[in-house]
This record gives sequence, C-alpha cells and structure tokens, in this order.
Amino acid sequence: MSALDNILVALADPTRRALLEHIGGGEARVTDLARPFPISLNSISKHLRVLEKAKLVRRRRVGREHLLSLNPVPLDEVAAWIKTHRIEWDSAFDRMEKALEKKS
Amino acid sequence: MTMTTAPGILIERTFKASPDEVWAMWTTREGLEKWWGPVGFTSTVKHLDVRVGGSFEIIMRATGSDQVAFLKSAGLPLESSAKGTYIAVVPVTRLSYKNIVDFIPGVKHYDVESSLELEPADGGTKMLFRSGMMHDTDWSQRAEMGWTQQIDKLVASLA
Repeated sequence: MSALDNILVALADPTRRALLEHIGGGEARVTDLARPFPISLNSISKHLRVLEKAKLVRRRRVGREHLLSLNPVPLDEVAAWIKTHRIEWDSAFDRMEKALEKKS
Repeated sequence: MTMTTAPGILIERTFKASPDEVWAMWTTREGLEKWWGPVGFTSTVKHLDVRVGGSFEIIMRATGSDQVAFLKSAGLPLESSAKGTYIAVVPVTRLSYKNIVDFIPGVKHYDVESSLELEPADGGTKMLFRSGMMHDTDWSQRAEMGWTQQIDKLVASLA
C-alpha cells in the first residue's frame, strides 16, 4: 500500500480519529490515551500501530513509558487528495449550472 | 445503518433553477450527460435506474487533448465508467448512492458514498452535496486488503 492508502485506512475509523484528537493535545502516554475508550488496551495498541504505520503518530520511549505525539504532515497529503476531488465536483457543478441557465 | 463518511467533501451550491430542474440533472440521461465527469471527458449514460437498489453506469471518455495525452502516456485507458447503486431516492429532495470505484487497474474495488439534498431557496434551489469514503468495517477491510500504489496514479490523473 502507498502512503496515502495507509493514511486513508488510518482515518477511516472513528476510534482512530478520536485517538488522533486526543494525541493532538500534546504528548500522551498510551495508558492515558486508552482510559476514555470502552475498549481494551490491547485494541487501543492495535489502533495506534495503524496510526503509526500511516506516520500520523510518532512514538518516543522514555524508560518504560511510551509517549505518543501527533505528526500532522501526512494530513496534508489527504487534504490535497480531497481538494482534488472537490475541484472535480466543483467544475462539474459549474457545467450543471450552465446547463440549467440555458433552460430558463 | 447510519453511514457517515470520512474523509470527504461537502459542497453547497445554489442554482437559479427549480428543484425539479436540478433533480432532473441528476436523474435523467439528458441531464447527466450535460455535466457529469471530469474536465476534458465526455459522458454517456449507459444504464440508469433511479430507485433504491437500482443502479447506474456512465461511460466517461477522454476528449480533451491534454487528458488524452496524459492517459496515453500513463498507459491508462481513455474510457472509464462510473458505476453506482442508489441507496436513497426521495424525488426532488434527497438522493444518495454508493459509487463502486473499480476502474483503477490493479486496485480492488472500493466504495464511495455520495449524497445530495435539495431545497427551495430564494426562487432557486440549494443543493448540499457530500461525498466520501465509507468507513464501515467492510470498506476498511477491503481497503486494507486491496489498495496499492495505483491510487497515486488516480490522484495524478485527477490533478
């Protein structure tokens, strides 16, 4: 899979998006991140690995602690992808607008 | 089942036309062929059955010289098709469909859900259009199994 695929897959899950929002607040410990979620630490770890694979999250080890932080750079790639789609639809709707004007 | 989409796009437009006329742009052969598809492509409706569970297929053929040149140089076909299945059809008010993206060589199919809502506004029609990747488990699994670097080609071809 390409980098963009990894990012889209990572973002295509509500739990992972919620995790990103929490991590966005600054460096966070895995155990603290897991606390608000009604799922096991093990599944949180799995979600975090998906986010790390997409390079959306960085992990730093301090002794036994694993500290996670947000890396916003890959989001730019997604933004570009979405922008492309937006431009496509916008130009199609421009054509629709013209077609509608001709009718009236 | 509630289907939210992410990531995706949201476009709001107001047309100087009645909701009936805008609806016809989406739901008739004549309407769709006037605007559907990327810049530099000509669209032909091959199949159209606007009802819940019904489907559509629109053939898009590159006709612009830049688009033709690009597709040729990338070794991609000049013709591709947009196929979808209607999820909701409420005449003149709401339309949503699942788009099966299966035209990217080497990439497993994946679904994009698009929806539009129409409402009368100031003698015209306000249209709210949403489109995005489905994030149900089915989609995620397929995406994890199937996506390859080919998607970059798609992005490039859209740029």
